[in-house]
Amino acid sequence: MSSDTGRLGGPLNSIADGYNDRFGQVFGELNGLQFALIIGSLLVLLLVPVWAPLLGMSGLLRTLALASIWAILAMGWDIQSGYTGYISFGHAVLSGGAAYTTALLIGNVNPDLSLAVTLPLSVLAALTIGLVIAVPSLRLKGPYFSLVTFVAGLIFYQLTYAFSDYTGGELGVRVGRIDFTVGGFEITTFDPVMRYYVMLVPMLLIAVTLLYVARSNVGMIFVAIRENETAVSAAGIDTTKFKIWSFVLSSIPMGIGGWLLAHFYGTVNPLNFLLVDRSIELIAMAVVGGMSSILGPIGGAFLVIVLREEVLRIFGATGRWVMLWTLILLVLVFARDGLFRKLWHYLGRLGSRDGGEN
Amino acid sequence: MSLFRLDGLTKRFGGLVAVDDLSFEVDRGEIVGLIGPNGSGKSTVFNCTMGRYKVSDGSIHFDGSEITDYRTHEVVENGLSRVSQESNPITEMPVAANIKLFTLPNSVLAFRGGATDEEIYQYAARIDLEDKLEEMPDELPHADIRRLEIAKALATEPEMLLLDEPFAGMNQQEINDLVDKFEELREEGITMIVVDHNMGGLMKLADRIVVIHNGSKIAEGSPEEIAENEAVKRAYLGSTEAM
Ligand SMILES: Nc1ncnc2c1ncn2[C@@H]1O[C@H](COP(=O)(O)OP(=O)(O)O)[C@@H](O)[C@H]1O
Ligand SMILES: [Mg+2]
Repeated sequence: MSSDTGRLGGPLNSIADGYNDRFGQVFGELNGLQFALIIGSLLVLLLVPVWAPLLGMSGLLRTLALASIWAILAMGWDIQSGYTGYISFGHAVLSGGAAYTTALLIGNVNPDLSLAVTLPLSVLAALTIGLVIAVPSLRLKGPYFSLVTFVAGLIFYQLTYAFSDYTGGELGVRVGRIDFTVGGFEITTFDPVMRYYVMLVPMLLIAVTLLYVARSNVGMIFVAIRENETAVSAAGIDTTKFKIWSFVLSSIPMGIGGWLLAHFYGTVNPLNFLLVDRSIELIAMAVVGGMSSILGPIGGAFLVIVLREEVLRIFGATGRWVMLWTLILLVLVFARDGLFRKLWHYLGRLGSRDGGEN
Repeated sequence: MSLFRLDGLTKRFGGLVAVDDLSFEVDRGEIVGLIGPNGSGKSTVFNCTMGRYKVSDGSIHFDGSEITDYRTHEVVENGLSRVSQESNPITEMPVAANIKLFTLPNSVLAFRGGATDEEIYQYAARIDLEDKLEEMPDELPHADIRRLEIAKALATEPEMLLLDEPFAGMNQQEINDLVDKFEELREEGITMIVVDHNMGGLMKLADRIVVIHNGSKIAEGSPEEIAENEAVKRAYLGSTEAM
């Protein structure tokens, strides 16, 4: 453990060590600065409804709620594609499938269905679609696997037009907002503050769960599959089973994220949910933050969404997309490991020079 | 009854017959040498046994069960482990994690488990690698990378080890040390097939030698018998290698 000789690192490190003793084994060890970054980000996110209005930036509540949902999707992609190296270019099919399940239930079965029905069925739909894609295609290697997932995305996109009697085609289906009561207290996403927390809290819970998985044996086996699949089977491990498991672990957050996104927009249409751009965006978020790290994709999602929805607006409706993709391209070329990962390792080195471990 | 048995094992790649109607047995506790000039089909025998290649004909039995069509992880779960000719450590993980991977349970719900640090140390110590646990594989000298491959195979707790050219690229001192280690493993009850392209390290080690040439068995016997065998000498005469 650390010797606490640094000026800045010292007190932070001793707090971090308290964390490390209790949770380091489970979620990975942190030094003082990394710990401060995590806790700082968490506080900033939890207190957005307090500080955003004070700074005259109430619009951030909407943007950061949206970023939370995309963070779920980017993490969902990461635990499968980032970790196992079987890169899916069609992951929006999973979240889109969940969103359309909710849409079809509400639009065609009963507009008053509660989330106790729509949420589990939507996640189940994502899971089913994930397995339908994964089971036959995971035998394929490299570009062939990616191509299959990509084409699956194209098929689902066209299906929404082919069945426009049910899906509303281009216009989509209205699903309305989320309303529920906890302990007599009514939660509704009509209220921007409540909506923010309805998106943020699941994101944080999914992050903790996926971090646990990623730092466990299962995450280690996923990475080993990416690096050397033959070696993993030589270890007596059924790689097919674990690759399918990665899809299961991915489909569940994709389903939850798709369901949240449906209610965030209030309408489910092909453009916002199934267009192939959506699959590429969530990959971009994961890669910009730093894939196969879970935390990286969260950072990437917040960065990309804040840029797109806030900062780059000055370039106009299409100009912002051009700028966004250009920036993403620059990150891919100059910081391939991801910005958040770079920051993380920088803090790792800084922290150790300040007297921490490593 | 023998622990391991090949019955008419045949492997064809298109028109090429890499292994041709090969049969031999290995008893529990034995060390059998499998030799033959380059390209004679030794690695293919191991690849068929480990479920890497689909067998064209014949059968493979291990410990009372037919394992001919088993997948790699099932073969390993049954107690067979192979040290490949090519080392393939995961370069992103240190030595200890490379060994640990080979102890992880084959269960998607086993989030924790596998060998403890102490157990990993023991696996490494069995092959003199215990001082290198924190190092990354690409920092290791050749002989240590080969030791890591053996430590990984041992970590699956095998009853039988298939060793493919374990002495390749090692100097005489390293070969002698490794021979001693294999003797110790035999004392611990591990059965072995050791492939080499010549008799070098096997002369002292092997109880019995099987010689294959163009995929077929051309001789079988004690190391002394094989050293004198005319058919074996002729097979090696055609190749550029010494016996
Ligand atoms: N995957 C493969 N595809 C085609 N031919 C192969 C393959 N693996 C091995 N061979 C061929 O089978 C023969 C035996 O190879 P191998 O078993 O590697 O020989 P050894 O290990 O005895 O040097 C060689 O002619 C080799 O070219
Ligand atoms: Mg060979």
